[in-house]
Amino acid sequence: MSEHSLHANDLYKEKPERKVVIEATGIHKKYRVYRDKGYSLKEKVLFWKRNRYEERWVLRGVNLSVRQGEAVGLLGVNGCGKSTFLKLLSRIMSPNEGQITIDGRVSCLIELGAGFHPDLSGRENIYTNAAIFGLTKKEIDARLQDIIKFSELGDYIDNPVRTYSSGMYMRLAFSVAINVDADILLIDEIMAVGDANFQEKCFKKLRQLKRDGMTIVIVSHDINTIESFCDKGIWISEGKCASEGDIKKVVKDYRNFLDKERQAALAKEMEERRKDAKLRIAEGKADFVPAAFLDENAGEEDVDYGHNRFGLGHAVITDVVMRDHEGKMTSVFMQGKPCSMEIHYKINKEGKEYIFGMAFVSSDNYIVYGTNQRRDESPTMLPSSVGRVTFNVHNMNLAPGRYIFSVSIIDDKEVPMDFYRNYCEFEVVSDHKNVGVIQVDHDWTIEGDEEDDV
Amino acid sequence: MGIFKELYNYRQMIVGFVKRDLKGKYKASVLGFLWTFINPLLQLLVYTLVFSTIMRSDKEQYYLFLFVALIPWIFFATSISGGAGCVVSQSTMVTKIYFPREVLPVSYVTSAFVNMLLTYIVVFAVTIFAGRGLNPVAILYLPIIMVIEYFLALGIAMITSALTVYFRDLEYILSIVTMAWQFLTPVMYDMDMLEGHTTILKIFYINPMTSIIMAYRDIMYYGQRPKLTTLTTAAGMGVLFTILGFVVFGKLKRRFAEEL
Repeated sequence: MSEHSLHANDLYKEKPERKVVIEATGIHKKYRVYRDKGYSLKEKVLFWKRNRYEERWVLRGVNLSVRQGEAVGLLGVNGCGKSTFLKLLSRIMSPNEGQITIDGRVSCLIELGAGFHPDLSGRENIYTNAAIFGLTKKEIDARLQDIIKFSELGDYIDNPVRTYSSGMYMRLAFSVAINVDADILLIDEIMAVGDANFQEKCFKKLRQLKRDGMTIVIVSHDINTIESFCDKGIWISEGKCASEGDIKKVVKDYRNFLDKERQAALAKEMEERRKDAKLRIAEGKADFVPAAFLDENAGEEDVDYGHNRFGLGHAVITDVVMRDHEGKMTSVFMQGKPCSMEIHYKINKEGKEYIFGMAFVSSDNYIVYGTNQRRDESPTMLPSSVGRVTFNVHNMNLAPGRYIFSVSIIDDKEVPMDFYRNYCEFEVVSDHKNVGVIQVDHDWTIEGDEEDDV
Repeated sequence: MGIFKELYNYRQMIVGFVKRDLKGKYKASVLGFLWTFINPLLQLLVYTLVFSTIMRSDKEQYYLFLFVALIPWIFFATSISGGAGCVVSQSTMVTKIYFPREVLPVSYVTSAFVNMLLTYIVVFAVTIFAGRGLNPVAILYLPIIMVIEYFLALGIAMITSALTVYFRDLEYILSIVTMAWQFLTPVMYDMDMLEGHTTILKIFYINPMTSIIMAYRDIMYYGQRPKLTTLTTAAGMGVLFTILGFVVFGKLKRRFAEEL
């Protein structure tokens, strides 16, 4: 079956002359933003000044042309106008300028279940909801079993919809929307449907519909979904089309833009913190001032190794949480049990690599044990700019006593980013009365030798 | 013209709305659907008592004289003042899904119309029971005048429902307007009471409901065919308001989703 479908898919790709089913040209849309809106005639007459509004252009000349069987993803940051564009395509709203022509029956997954009546049963709601998509009773009768089967509602189908859980509600709504034999499907944030299993099922169904020649337009924040599902993309930025065409290219453009945005935000935050740090030094409050906060171009030579905490500060330790073998937050550990140290970090400036290190120091400043990720040949890839790296102790075998926990972040050239010599103290307890600094894994054996009777 | 084709495609939605409306009305009541008939019967009983004992009228069987005109009037008044809120009350649907917005006023007026038809069964029964013969030739005109009234009510309801989206208190203003309108329509009296008042008569004939109510009364009370001029005036008004209604609604519906 998969072979056959792959074949069908390839055929579609080789036939670019399929007919255009959605054609939107020069779409402009503005909203009226009222300062203080009066709805009644009285208010409109008496307080006519209040009815002043500002016009805000959400879309400023977007074009879209979709051929039959294509899946198009709309990308963009919040408020860029992509949802508005979808609402225009679905004809819920009309554009102020521009022309939209749509060839075929449209089904929307925009507001699932918006037409449901809570007191009616699931079955009755299928009829009213499908009627909203423009189906006749005969057509609905023919699809009823498919809809009920897909929704997995079983016997619940005859209960009033108000008794449904939100997942059941969504499943029913989704089932109706995709079973109305639409030619074009418009989807806004589909990821909200039911549990993971049902979502998977939805995607399978969508892929099948796509293979069967349905045209699909999707709005989603999930770039990965769009990239894997769509053939074409359009990235809308500030009401205009910033990039369009092959989905791979559009996603790449959009990702580049997002990266730049994030870096700009980080740089701005850095600048603010630098100002703040300078202020704190001036006031004599700072205990640790990363060198990079004082000078953006600070290098290794600017690091002052004399302090308890020092470093460039491109990545910093924000917190350390210690947990005992039961996962409880504590600074007292049982000897011989596992425990862990979660090092919370924040990246202020992206670097090639950041390596986390640690040391247990005895109260007389003797390093009992120290290591770092590089020495342990442990992976150092950090998934996000904030997070935590955990040092898992399989067996706390320090001897009972008080210790200092030392923690550090260095970069790939071993330049200290945040080196915290004396982060905190912890205690190891045991009901065993051994002495020293570590517990040696051991046991005793006794063997007697045969007496050499001479 | 595309809109009529689209409305036809969405006929199931209209049927669904009308059914839901008629079923929902008496859903929680004990007698259920019977209320559709009991209600007008009780109303009629009250009119009979009042107008045959307290306020005597020189019209013979005044309660019937009133009743045959009052039922169509109630349909009309409900359509335009109650119907005014039919788009606003479905705001969640209008802002979230696409369907031809005309479905809303069409279903509202249709369900009020079906209600009137059912009530007219009672009117027939009482008329026969009261010993007034029905003229079969005149009865043939009844469906015609009903259809004309339906389109007139629909046209006006489309205008009021679309305007209510922009001016929310139009709904309340309209209930007063319809009350005044009732007195400017020969519902409770006959046009012969106005003989001699030429200016007032002019106003009455501009009122599109005047000819419709007169036609109803001709058919059901006087048992005669309505005058051709009455019918053509009514039909003309019906066509005019239907076109006007669709045009106005079509213009105003473009910003419904934003205003709601």
